[in-house]
Amino acid sequence: MRSFLRFEVRRALSNPVNLVFLAGFPVLLYLLWTKVLDLASGPVSMVSMATYGAMGGALFIGGAIAMERSSGWLRQLAVTPLPAHGYIVSKLAGGMLAVLPSVVIVLAAGALLGGVRLPAATWLALPLLIWAGVVPFAALGVAFGYSLKGQSANIAMMVVYFLLSVLGGLWLPVSRMPGGLRVPAEYSPAYQAGSLGWRALDGLAPTGTSVLVLAAWTALFVLLGVWRYRSAAWR
Amino acid sequence: MLELTELKKNYGEITALDGVSLRVREGEKVALLGPNGAGKTTLLSIALGLLSPDSGAARLLGRPPREALAAGRVGVLLQDAGLPDDVRVGDLVGAVAGMYPTPSVLADPELEALAGRRVLGLSGGQRQLVRFALALAGDPALLILDEPTVGLDVDARRALWRQVRDRTVVFATHYLAEADDHADRVVLLAGGRVVADGPVEEIKALVGGTEVRLTLDTMDEPRLRSLPGVHDVVVEGATATLRTGDSDATLRALFAGFGDVRNVRTSGVDLESAFVSLTGKGA
Repeated sequence: MRSFLRFEVRRALSNPVNLVFLAGFPVLLYLLWTKVLDLASGPVSMVSMATYGAMGGALFIGGAIAMERSSGWLRQLAVTPLPAHGYIVSKLAGGMLAVLPSVVIVLAAGALLGGVRLPAATWLALPLLIWAGVVPFAALGVAFGYSLKGQSANIAMMVVYFLLSVLGGLWLPVSRMPGGLRVPAEYSPAYQAGSLGWRALDGLAPTGTSVLVLAAWTALFVLLGVWRYRSAAWR
Repeated sequence: MLELTELKKNYGEITALDGVSLRVREGEKVALLGPNGAGKTTLLSIALGLLSPDSGAARLLGRPPREALAAGRVGVLLQDAGLPDDVRVGDLVGAVAGMYPTPSVLADPELEALAGRRVLGLSGGQRQLVRFALALAGDPALLILDEPTVGLDVDARRALWRQVRDRTVVFATHYLAEADDHADRVVLLAGGRVVADGPVEEIKALVGGTEVRLTLDTMDEPRLRSLPGVHDVVVEGATATLRTGDSDATLRALFAGFGDVRNVRTSGVDLESAFVSLTGKGA
């Protein structure tokens, strides 16, 4: 299992598609919001877009699982000594590690292109907070990966990704949403993930509510993932 | 090494396996021979624990299949296994070898030439070679190969069988020639049943050989049946079809003994029609 873990981590970190998708796109959006359209404040948008990219990275671990399920690579792995949980653990580890550099790139774009200035401690805390905030989406991705196969999983996840990130106020702040949407928005996982970073901008620690809501979503998605995994396993 | 007991498996209306038992001992080279749809892949999938049978049991190396695979003493080449596209061949083979207690990387010049290439650009034959390298990555005591030479050119086939030489192996194929060259025991599977199981020579006599068609004005089936080499005779009116394991001897005796024989044609028996005659299905 250790050799497969190493293999997956190296694979995830050396995949250029990941970097374009998780860092390039959020950086472009950030520049669009703040420089071209002038719709959002620099630091908040920077955190939102870093969270948005990281969230995609976590979710699409499941997309990779779905693709490998349909390509038959999982059938090959099923006849090796690698335990099925070893596969998931390696995928999660590789995928979550690959999220970190993309977060750093978006934050660097904020500092270098967007002129965001923050205390050193905040710069250090931000990537870790954003990274931790998107953990529930990794679990949700795994649930998707074991529910759908191949491209259909990716399409379904694109939709969920977009809806959750809009609802969570990563595109436009929740405060600008109509009243009826605000409450569900504030309990959505993307909003709570974003709020870790947004509060850090003001030097504030995460609230207990954030931690609780994120933990609850993680638990729910893990249960969902375990259930889907049990019914699909190596297939 | 492999023990299957009374395996049955249905896919809805279709019976894939209808009570198959099989024992493979250490050192044996067993070819699982049968036409497409005979149940070969289903049988191997059950033997590997990838599929559960409706009834019956499978044991690998004396344990439940999944445990035997986890212990890393079985090498498997599946027909429909995909490979990740974005990785280098060397990294892939190394990672899989690292999962086994006794890692071994196939010393094959063609594979070594591929080590630095990404899987994405490989041809079908090169991919099959990589799959084969993955099957051997744990220096297995038992090799299970499902249609291993599909897509391989002659050189690659030869290289593959050379690697198999000193191991216990069970392989599925629909080529009689492949079973003949590389197995010492052939299990003939048709319609989900074992229709024959024995040394290669025995099976060749059953399914191989030549078909001789002829016309006789005065049909004499018992005499045709007694010709040297003949093991099957089908008569339809004035036409007879003989199946023979020694066409030279059969033809010599045929022309010597039957003055009125006409329209003699010979053809090699293909596997499909041999199965039809063995299972009594079809025409």
